[in-house]
Amino acid sequence: MTLRAKLGYTAAGLTVLAALLTPFLLIGSFAKGFAALGLHVDEVYSGGPKVRTIQNGAYSIAIHRPVYPHMLQNEKPFVQLDWSPVSALPPHVSDLVDVDGDGQPDLHVSFDVPSNPKAPLNVNVEPLNSRYEAMQNAGKEKYSRLIVRVDDAILVRVPLQNK
Amino acid sequence: MATNARLPRLAPAPLRGIVRSLLLTLPIAVWSLLMFFHPGSHTDPKSRIAAAMTALFMTALFFMMMRTGKTYRWRRWFFVTLGILFPVGFIYNMVIARGTIGIPIEEMIAGRTPFCFLPIPLLILPAALTKTLVFPGSIMTSSHGIAAMVGLWLAITLVLGKGWCAYACFFGGIEESMAAVPQRAKIRKIDPRWRYGPWAVLLAMVLLSLALFEPAYCMWLCPFKAVSEYVAARNAVGLVQNGIFILLFAGLVIVLPLLTKKRTQCSFFCLFGAFQSIFNKISIFEVKIDQTHCKPCNICQTACPTLSLSKESIAHGETLLTCMKCGACVDACPRQAVVWHIKGTQIAWKPERARLMFLYAAWALAVMFGGSIIAQGLVTILHFVA
Repeated sequence: MTLRAKLGYTAAGLTVLAALLTPFLLIGSFAKGFAALGLHVDEVYSGGPKVRTIQNGAYSIAIHRPVYPHMLQNEKPFVQLDWSPVSALPPHVSDLVDVDGDGQPDLHVSFDVPSNPKAPLNVNVEPLNSRYEAMQNAGKEKYSRLIVRVDDAILVRVPLQNK
Repeated sequence: MATNARLPRLAPAPLRGIVRSLLLTLPIAVWSLLMFFHPGSHTDPKSRIAAAMTALFMTALFFMMMRTGKTYRWRRWFFVTLGILFPVGFIYNMVIARGTIGIPIEEMIAGRTPFCFLPIPLLILPAALTKTLVFPGSIMTSSHGIAAMVGLWLAITLVLGKGWCAYACFFGGIEESMAAVPQRAKIRKIDPRWRYGPWAVLLAMVLLSLALFEPAYCMWLCPFKAVSEYVAARNAVGLVQNGIFILLFAGLVIVLPLLTKKRTQCSFFCLFGAFQSIFNKISIFEVKIDQTHCKPCNICQTACPTLSLSKESIAHGETLLTCMKCGACVDACPRQAVVWHIKGTQIAWKPERARLMFLYAAWALAVMFGGSIIAQGLVTILHFVA
């Protein structure tokens, strides 16, 4: 048997061994290795990291860092605001929100909170700062312009003016 | 190519003895038990019954492979079962979890879109350039997370290369079942240029995904959205997307396999198949043509479900890069000229040894991954029956 053949059989044996180790070692190791690469899900989906939380009585409003789309992504830049917990929200929410933390309100956000968690949501956003766009009776149009309920929070994404 | 007509026609592979076949099957039987009955694996009787049925099924198929010397014929039973039962289990779980298989935008925002392997090639460039994953899932190492699927895919790919498409792809089984229905193909002549289709789709979708920063194939072209989950149609664009999914599924996965007896979606369209072909270069197992026995009858070419043999490649004694090692050509060759092979070794020198080594690796992974999907589908059926 030639050296090449010996190497071939050795590699084949190792491959069979790798198959046997796959469920016990390889999948987990590769998955952990991948997770450790420091990648993150596109913020157009995730909404970006939270930067500040405003306490408003029994509920809070979390403000995320503005998200700017990449290249030809068919979305506007937006900022995400989370109202939670839903159980502490009044039937009608109408809040002035200081998004940029300068002490002045930037948005007037109002929406109804239906008792049925699967009921559709609609939001009105009146910009008090020219940086933000108005939203009238908006539902789930785009990632950058929506109101949705995710678990115990109501998320509102307000588009930013293109500059 | 050897065209020596004086070569004697080789006898078909003789049946292996039952005892020897059982002994060769024993490791797979033990592996199946280990995979399906490890401590804490099942809590309810339905799961135990499904696991027992799956373990028995996979072990019986492997026994028949050992006994008859045929691979494709028995692998196809597994693969078709996988293709049929995957949507059963998946759709049921989705309906239980969220009431629909149309994924709403809030589930995407929550990062709860189950990640399948098809978008893996689409993620590479955006991830390499911006460290961003353009998929509305989450990087979890638990089930359905991106990291978990990438880990699984990488491990299986290292072992099997393009063999993923014949032993792991739960979508391929659907069209293989369609291709198995007719006795004869109604369309026999297929322009070989269609082979470039998957590469064209791969290139276009990789670039488009980078430009649009979205998994473009999943959003617009994946035929299997029709049987897994689709973007909930909340506007006209969503309706168009879902219309495309259904048309592609009907055409490439149902109608064309029925007419051609080929896996047409895999052969003409699947970007993941093209991507996976690259990994055949690092796989130690392959299929070769022993030119000392080959008479250019092209039966192997006709038998190949993915157009992975051409006259030129047969003349060179090898399959094309897209070969998924399903064994159809090996089973079909009346002269046993198409053989399993380990790189570095002499062609046709103990090909059964190469076949055994490959099948132990491939079947172990098939039991682990495909078997768990089959068991899940069976649990769903048992749930309805009970």
